[in-house]
Amino acid sequence: MTDHATPPAVEANPQLERAAQRADAWRGFFLAAPAYVYLMILFVVPLGIVTMYSFATRNRQGGTDLSGWNLDSYARLDEPIVRTILFRSLWLAIVTTVICLVLAFPFSYFIATRRPAVRNVMLVFVMIPFWTNFLVRNYAWRVILENDGIWNDAARATGTETVVDWLLGLPHWIQWAIPDWIEHLPSPLFSEVGIVLGLVYGFLPFMILPLYAAIERIDLSLIEASRDLYASGRQTLRRVLIPLSMPGIIAGSILVFVPSLGAYVTPQILGGDKETLLGSYIVVQFLTARNWPFGAALSVVLVAVMLLATRIYFRNGGRTL
Amino acid sequence: MTGPSPAVSLDRITKRFGDVTAVDELRLDIADGEFFALLGPSGCGKTTTLRMIAGLEFPTEGSLRIFGDEVGTLPPEKRPVNTVFQSYALFPHMTVLQNVAFGLRMRKVAKAEAAERAAEAIQLVKMAGMEQRRPTQLSGGQQQRVALARALVNSPKVLLLDEPLGALDLKLRQEMQRELKTLQREVGITFVFVTHDQEEALTMSDRIGVMHNGELLQVGTPEEIYERPSNRFVADFIGQTNLLDATVEGDGTVCLANGTRVAADTRGLTPATAVALSLRPERARLATQGSVPSGQPSLSGRIEQSTYLGNAIVFSVAVAGMTLDVRAENLVAGSVPPVGDEVVVTWDPGAAVVVEA
Repeated sequence: MTDHATPPAVEANPQLERAAQRADAWRGFFLAAPAYVYLMILFVVPLGIVTMYSFATRNRQGGTDLSGWNLDSYARLDEPIVRTILFRSLWLAIVTTVICLVLAFPFSYFIATRRPAVRNVMLVFVMIPFWTNFLVRNYAWRVILENDGIWNDAARATGTETVVDWLLGLPHWIQWAIPDWIEHLPSPLFSEVGIVLGLVYGFLPFMILPLYAAIERIDLSLIEASRDLYASGRQTLRRVLIPLSMPGIIAGSILVFVPSLGAYVTPQILGGDKETLLGSYIVVQFLTARNWPFGAALSVVLVAVMLLATRIYFRNGGRTL
Repeated sequence: MTGPSPAVSLDRITKRFGDVTAVDELRLDIADGEFFALLGPSGCGKTTTLRMIAGLEFPTEGSLRIFGDEVGTLPPEKRPVNTVFQSYALFPHMTVLQNVAFGLRMRKVAKAEAAERAAEAIQLVKMAGMEQRRPTQLSGGQQQRVALARALVNSPKVLLLDEPLGALDLKLRQEMQRELKTLQREVGITFVFVTHDQEEALTMSDRIGVMHNGELLQVGTPEEIYERPSNRFVADFIGQTNLLDATVEGDGTVCLANGTRVAADTRGLTPATAVALSLRPERARLATQGSVPSGQPSLSGRIEQSTYLGNAIVFSVAVAGMTLDVRAENLVAGSVPPVGDEVVVTWDPGAAVVVEA
């Protein structure tokens, strides 16, 4: 055996290393810069202006004086009507999120466990509603739900006044399947039911897609392992499937909750005048009441509530993961 | 039936997926306390068979008993078996301890007792001190041990292992093979092991079942399978062998495809049956022309290629229309005959086995 030649010594060069790191950081910054600039100009700056206005004063002419900064607009949040609207919005957003989650979870699991070809077709079906304008789709619901809408049109074609009348007129051998209270059911249009119906319909895909992405990543042999280790189907769902789907549950819930809370179009079209929500109330402050500081304060509160909800959700998710 | 019931008993078990028959009328009894390997190439139905025992698939036809109880259509959670999955399938959102205690907790064992027994199982697989780690923080070999502990902690009547060593590198695999064998003797549980690695099956098992195309071709001890393969596929799949097409002549001789007659054990075969003669490379020898005693089978040929393995040399010898591999232990340094040498391949009459073609 010959002696090994000593390998040439490599000396550490901290300056060179630091320069390389700095160059890397700059490259990263330049790649991110266009999006940064866009968000700064169109999101952060306007939000700053809105926040500024929320501390301003409304003058007699309905204009806004950018002087005499005060907290008057925030003090108005304590008024009963404002609180009712705030809590109603919050409540409907939560209900919408929960309904979306319950509907979307089994569906996403179903898609995620199909063959890839079937999966893709089903995902396209989920996204088809996006090809039609949101406003148009909301008006479509109104057409369906109206007293002289197509449901009741169909009923009239069979000789009864409404769908409910048609159901009650069915042969007695099938009547047992129809609950009595259906007779007293108010029309869903122009009620909270109509709003939730429209919000769930509009935002369900935002729940399905992240849930699908999360479930699709789960190794299905984990479910088999759970069953093999004496867990029932229900226990497997609770102990394995749901915890592992948590990233999708969090993402989907935020994507549904946040736009539901600030929804304007759907409550306006399907909720009518009785059920004012936060989104509509803010618009009224800016356009009708001409109280910009109060509208701005409400907007700031809305953003704050959304941030808070997102944070709570992420923190809880982080613990269980 | 007399005597104790077998640990696992499959009777004409068939599994069809649409038009494809994955497992075809399989009959097999696995004894209590046995280390049994299901061996075969991928797609032979061995994993499907294991999954049917586990309850992860239900048989299309046939009867499946575990210690005498029919379990064919019971869900996995109602069977006294546990599985070590090929990918380990450890729950990524739980610690090692939570993973191992999972089965006990699902069977309503109190939390403290479950933790205690899980800790013991972790100790058994030499993973003490890792209880609070997450599976993603473990190496492949460590994950393998946790998967083993997670199954064993439930004291199953039968432990099913689906290629559990497949993802490990050679050194670790060999180490785990020995450990698994020791562990099985210690706990005394019946192990049913699926593998495509014949060496692994030979090393570890008490008995091996060789599967091909959904059928069980041969069941026997490693020695039986290696020394007396029942057909061409088994002879070829287990170890290395030279398969020479032949026809049964009279009593005690077969005629090779090139016309040479050689002595072989042909008991129970009618003359003119097409068979194959299986000659293991290590059972054949190279000799020089004229040095072979008469009556001993021999074929003359020329060395085409030699492969140096360190402890042995494998010669490929061209013999009229065929190539035979002959393995010679490397006993004396520098004694390798050169490529191109005219040689005679010879073997003891009992060394070559007649198998079904």
